[in-house]
Amino acid sequence: MFLAKRLVLAHLWVAFIAFLGALVLGAWQMYVRSPLSAWVNNPEHYYRSVTAHGTVMAYVLPTLVAMGFGYAICELALKKPLIGVRWAWGGFGMVVAGTALAAVTMGMGRASVLYTFYPPMIASPFYYVGVVLVVVGSWVWVALMSINLRAWKKDNPGASVPLAMYGNVAGAYLWAWTSVGAASEVLVLILPASLGLTDTINAGLARVLFSWTLHAIVYFWLMPAYIVFYTIVPRAIGGRLYSDTMGRVAFALFLVFSMPIGIHHLFADPQVGAGFKFVHAAMTAMVSVPTLLTVFTIVASVEIAAKLRGGTGLFGWVKALPWGNPMMLAVTFSFVMLGFGGAGGIINMSYQLNETIHNTQWVTGHFHLIFAGAIVLMYFMLAYELWPQLTGCAPLSPRLIKAQVWLWFVGMMVLTMPWHLVGLLGAPRRMAYYDYSHPDLQSQAWTVTMSAIGGFVLLVSGILLIVILATARRRGDAPVEPFTFSRPAHVGGHTPVALNGFGLWVAMMIGLTVVNYGYPIAQLASLKEAYVPVIPIGSR
Amino acid sequence: MREDAVVSWSNLWFRWSVVALVVLTVLSMLVGFVLLPSVHGDFSAQGLWASICRAAGVPSSWAGASSPDAKREPHATSVVLERSMARGGGSDAVGRGATLALNCTMCHGAQGMSGTDAPNLSGQYPEVVLKQLRDYKATRRGSPIMVALAQTLSERDMNDLAAYYAYLPKARTAPTTYDETLPALVRVGAPLRNIAPCISCHGGVDQKLGAPWIEGMPKRYLVAQLQAFRAGTRRNDSHAQMRNVVRSMTDAEIDEVTSFYASKASAGGER
Repeated sequence: MFLAKRLVLAHLWVAFIAFLGALVLGAWQMYVRSPLSAWVNNPEHYYRSVTAHGTVMAYVLPTLVAMGFGYAICELALKKPLIGVRWAWGGFGMVVAGTALAAVTMGMGRASVLYTFYPPMIASPFYYVGVVLVVVGSWVWVALMSINLRAWKKDNPGASVPLAMYGNVAGAYLWAWTSVGAASEVLVLILPASLGLTDTINAGLARVLFSWTLHAIVYFWLMPAYIVFYTIVPRAIGGRLYSDTMGRVAFALFLVFSMPIGIHHLFADPQVGAGFKFVHAAMTAMVSVPTLLTVFTIVASVEIAAKLRGGTGLFGWVKALPWGNPMMLAVTFSFVMLGFGGAGGIINMSYQLNETIHNTQWVTGHFHLIFAGAIVLMYFMLAYELWPQLTGCAPLSPRLIKAQVWLWFVGMMVLTMPWHLVGLLGAPRRMAYYDYSHPDLQSQAWTVTMSAIGGFVLLVSGILLIVILATARRRGDAPVEPFTFSRPAHVGGHTPVALNGFGLWVAMMIGLTVVNYGYPIAQLASLKEAYVPVIPIGSR
Repeated sequence: MREDAVVSWSNLWFRWSVVALVVLTVLSMLVGFVLLPSVHGDFSAQGLWASICRAAGVPSSWAGASSPDAKREPHATSVVLERSMARGGGSDAVGRGATLALNCTMCHGAQGMSGTDAPNLSGQYPEVVLKQLRDYKATRRGSPIMVALAQTLSERDMNDLAAYYAYLPKARTAPTTYDETLPALVRVGAPLRNIAPCISCHGGVDQKLGAPWIEGMPKRYLVAQLQAFRAGTRRNDSHAQMRNVVRSMTDAEIDEVTSFYASKASAGGER
């Protein structure tokens, strides 16, 4: 790497330290809700904790990881120094300042509105300003990714953009467009109410605008993990990438289809028409296409690795895989969690089936499996891969990494499977306590105990992650090998021009958003009955 | 490879992507806006265009605009609690309110601390006094005395009274804060009976807009109000929150929570 080492390191360290803090809160939340502890002393403390856990895990961690990884890819894949390092530090400063501002406000109990904001509940303006700073800081990154790609293309006319950079910029463009929803919700509707300029808020419109961001943000979180799948996993386990084009198609499809589908979060909201709910459900189903393409391509790439190691037979090659390799373990666990989580997600996105689990603990189980499980696990692997590049340390201990990966997988399964079960039984999410002395609930008490145990296993795994990263330098310095990305199985293949740029896909993304969101937004914005009195939180 | 060659009908990627996306969008729109509504009587009763509008979420009056139902006033209360109601008033308003409040002293005490079973008003949140007065005036809350007295009050009178009582020293000398010794219903409610804890609205965990402070209130007043909510004779709680809380409470439970709040009387009141 050239200039960005300290920059990337700063992003990843802040991300993982905030992550560990939020992990402690998460484990505490599970513990106080379980029969292992008395009912939480003050439910307000529980919701304060949920707000902080969600804000860090949903905004701070993935944004910083995507930014840091993006800067690293820029230098490692394009093989030239990052343009705009000073701006990048400026963006990083904004994210850190925003995080600190939001954290203090949440700690003071002035922002217990959960990370999804939930107007007409209104928190202190400092909380929203903090979140806006995080987002604006990340927009600096979006701009830099675009500028760096443009400069590289100018220097290399006609050359194929490296796949890692293609995915990276797809993620940046996706984030730029998806964050517009929540940003306009906060700037136009919430902040005026929070500052006391208005006493009412258009809650229906606010929720629709948040849904604009709410689902696509998931694919922004997912991009770094998919980049690792395509461009690092095959190399790390000694194989080849089965198809470079398939990777580009997957990234392009995510751009197009992750945006105009957020209303599937509003199936139970009366202010949105049933027709739009159905269209969003149908488009949500389309997002499974790039995921299935990815699963196919990566499994094929893994098979190549096994065949290269002498594996044979229809399934016999599985035995020949490098199971001692931490990346092999991580990608396997990640796919298992992606499989369970994805299957659960198909229930969530179905207009009818969703009714059975809407707003239950099932939903919490679903997104923890997909995001905290499948995706965050790959964030760890990405850090482990980059660490020798960033710090010049000797290779990290595979034994410790495997222990950390195992703990994360086991902890996440133990945490989320009981949630799915009680969700089916009807347990609502976001409850500060349950009455397990009641005979109707007593039979479910064990599930919460199990989830709490899972939470503590995850906490141990998180601590181990920090230990591995923090003690890397003690392993001594080693000459840094140049970083490489996976090589495709068919070297020198032709990249279609449509898959070497973003114009078509960004145009489709915006067009589809206008078609799917235009009317609901315009209708609610013009409906004066949709304005309701605000409910200030923690103001007395 | 030229970038601009992407946007061209001769580019297979462009052609098939655009065609596939348009087909997908049109098909899902047809299913969502035409096919599915057509099998729902509610949607399709007034023809195809009406059913498309309904699926799109166009606001309409389901009962028909001319129906008497559409014009009926809400049962509970017509007062909408707004944050502006909590702002009280300036010294003018307090002064006028003090004069008006001379009418109230017989029951609510000279300084807003009741010597009877009427509620204490000293230091009460302004939006609480305002809302109750408006409800009395509109006969949404019953009381032969209060309904009659409220009839003569103008909107400004009510604002002034609210400002005056909010200005008086808070008699809430023993605000409830969370601790493990509080009665269970006050502290954590009864989740399986949908009973929210008292302290999540009336102070202790949160003080919600429109919820009065109730520490030190006369016990008989509190009991009477809870019983009225339970029987449905008092129903000016706009979202039925109190009626829902009390519905499954027993007399013994009502006695427990009201004894708790009544026992937190201030040290220096008129009582």
